[in-house]
This record gives sequence, structure tokens and C-alpha cells, in this order.
Amino acid sequence: MKVEPLVYGDRKVYSVSGFNRGVSSWLERLPTVWIEGEVTELRRQEGWQSIFFTLKDTGDGACLPVSMARARFDALRLELMDGMTVHVFGRPELYESRGTFRLRALTIEALGLGAILAGIERLKRALAAEGLFAPERKRPLPLFPRRIALLTGNEAAAKRDFLTAVAARFPAANVLVAETYVQGPQASAAIVSALTALAQEPDVDVLVLTRGGGSFEDLLPFSDERVVRAVAACTVPVVTAVGHEQDTPLCDLAADARASTPTAAARLVVPDERELRERLDRLHLALEREAQRVFERARERILADGERLGRAPALLLERKRGALDTSAGRLRALSPRATLARGYAIVRASGGIVREAASLAPGKRVDVELAEGAFGARVEDLAP
Amino acid sequence: MTEDLSFEEARKELERIVAQLESGEASLENAVALWERGEGLYRLCLGKLDSAQGKIEELGARARAAKAPQS
Repeated sequence: MKVEPLVYGDRKVYSVSGFNRGVSSWLERLPTVWIEGEVTELRRQEGWQSIFFTLKDTGDGACLPVSMARARFDALRLELMDGMTVHVFGRPELYESRGTFRLRALTIEALGLGAILAGIERLKRALAAEGLFAPERKRPLPLFPRRIALLTGNEAAAKRDFLTAVAARFPAANVLVAETYVQGPQASAAIVSALTALAQEPDVDVLVLTRGGGSFEDLLPFSDERVVRAVAACTVPVVTAVGHEQDTPLCDLAADARASTPTAAARLVVPDERELRERLDRLHLALEREAQRVFERARERILADGERLGRAPALLLERKRGALDTSAGRLRALSPRATLARGYAIVRASGGIVREAASLAPGKRVDVELAEGAFGARVEDLAP
Repeated sequence: MTEDLSFEEARKELERIVAQLESGEASLENAVALWERGEGLYRLCLGKLDSAQGKIEELGARARAAKAPQS
């Protein structure tokens, strides 16, 4: 429709309504396009002819108001919710009576499998490049956690399986359970805040994030960047057990350990009490055995020393006796007996040995000792 | 001396002590001290196992209970 301006001399002037109509018809000539964004501020009411929401850029938060004809929207049978990432097919439109710009949606699609997979793959590469999944970031799990935090959905199975396995292996375990949304658009933010709250509870030494099996879409929050980062940044080691064996949400890569099922996660976070006691008893036995061995060795050494000590006096005596024999021999050699045996005699007078003839006088009594026997005699004469 | 050890710390030290005795390098006095310490650690571990009582709490329930008076 052609908009005719008013003419004031050489100036052409448009009415507001005319301008809006003009812009509107110009915008209508733009091609229809697909736009990706996150749904926020979804508004719908029974009597309204349209539904409204704001499409938000997940990168920089730029906003675009969207409206869609009620009948068209209902025909989609789409469970549209805040937080969902969608592709909207539509064209720009001016709401003429208010002069506001918006996107007129012709159809809305929840992100298709291919697009979601591509997004996850992109995120995975980016986080891997950041080093978030590096093996050296993995922390060892405590052997004997004072308290185990369990973050789970409110569906019974995962929680029950985990608690049953924990009770069977280690009845003394303390478990702090928090339930949260584990699927749907609010899940990511809910998981992050519950994870942070749990890790701050006193004595929590390990955290288990679990969710039973579900569709690919159900498990999407566990590949959400916010959740993956929260797992990596958690102040205590995290074990994930999400979905089934073949599912590998990104949070598994950021976790310190990954279990295929809640039961397997229980095996990772608590020791088997029986095994623990057996191990402890084996250690105790080894302690006694080894200490015993050291004592035994020391005792043997002391005994050996004692035996040597016991033998010592005899040895000493023998040595003394030997020395005595030698001395006796030498003593014997020095004794005058051997000289007498050669034919010499010892002459004594008045008790003393006579060495000089001058000490005697004729008629003096002397005693003569021979090798065999002795006799008395009187001096006849003296020779000088 | 052993009271503030965790189960894990106590068990690890017990393992070290056994290894030390096994090496045969400990002197007699040292061995006696090691053995006494080891016995203490063993009893500490056992005590922790015996005294631990399993407990399951709900964080959500407590958070709701804490919030309840204001709402």
C-alpha cells in the first residue's frame, strides 16, 4: 500500500500511522529466516489471539520479542518452556498501533537432534581445549568418606539403587541426599545450585551426581556448559552416574570418576566393610608378625652373645694355665736342682750358703746338699 | 596423638609401619615403638569402623524446614 505524505511547501511529512504502515510493509518484504535462541518470558492466556515470548541470544543476551498466532502455536503441540533453546522460523514485523518491532513466528522447533549434537560437540572441543577434562585434574576418591552427598532426581530408581548398594557395602555410611530437577529447561540451573550447596555442607568428602536412564533429550542438562563447569569446579571430588552405560554426557568427562550405574557409583564411593575389616586384620597380623620377627632376631642375637659370654671364663683359665705352664718351665730351668743334678753341691754353714772359704774355719760344721740327699761334715783345712 | 587422624590416614600409617618392620631396618627400641604405634592405629581404625553409624539425611527437607518460618 502506498503511503501518501502531506506536503508543506518543499517538505514531505508522514503521519505516525502512515510511517508505521510504510515501515511495516517494507519489513514484510524481508525474507523469512530461522533464528536460534533461548525462550524467556513466555506469556500465554486463554483469551489471547497470540502467544508471546522473548528470544534471547545465549551468547551476549541480546533480546528479540516474538509473537505467534495462537491457533498456529497450539497446532505445534510443543511443550514450550522458559529456558528451552529453539529455532524460530519467521519474519520481522512492526506492531503498527504501538510502533514496536517483533518477530512474527510461523513455526517453532525445539532444537533437532543434529543441531544439539553439533552444539555438544562444539562445547566438548572448547572445554577440552581449556583442559577441563584433563586426566591430571582428576582427584582421587576418599577411601572412607565422612559424608557422601547424593544429588539425584526425584525419580525413585537411581536414588534407591544407590542407597541400597551403599547400605549393603558399608552400613555405617553417612549420606546427604538432595533432590533436584534432572530434566527439562530448569534442570541445568537447579543442578548447579544444588551441587554448590551440597559441596558446602560440613564433612562432605565426595559428591555423587546421578540420574536414571532417559531419552537423549532428558539427559541434555548433563551436557549443559553450566553443569559441566560446576562439576569441574566442585570443591570435593565428583562421581557421575548418569543414564545408561552407552550415554556419555559431558559432565562425565569433567567428573573425577564416572560410573555406569548408581550401584557402580556406590561401589566407587564406599569401601566394602567386610573387605575393609579383612584388610585391616591382615595388616594387624602382619604388624604382629613383623614385630615378632624383629624381637625374635634381637633375642637370638642376645642369646648368641650370652653363650659367648658363658664360654669366656673357661677360655681365660685355659689361657692362664698355658701361661702358667710356660712360667713353670722357665722357673724349673732356673732352679738349682738342675745344677745339682750335674754334680754340683750346695754348702751351707750357720744357715747361709757358703760362697767364700775365708768365712769358714777348721772344725766348722757344714751341711752339704746334693742332687739326691745331703750330709753333714767338718772343715779339715782351708785353701785360699 | 592418634585421635585426630582419619581412618584413611591411620590405615596408611599402619601400612607404612608394617613395611618399615618388614624391611628389617628397625632397631629393637624402634621396633617396639613402631609396634606400639601400629597397635594404636589398628585399634583406632577398628574403633572408627565399630562406632560409625549409618545415617541418611535429606538436604531439601532441611532447607525447606529452615525456610518454613519465613513463608
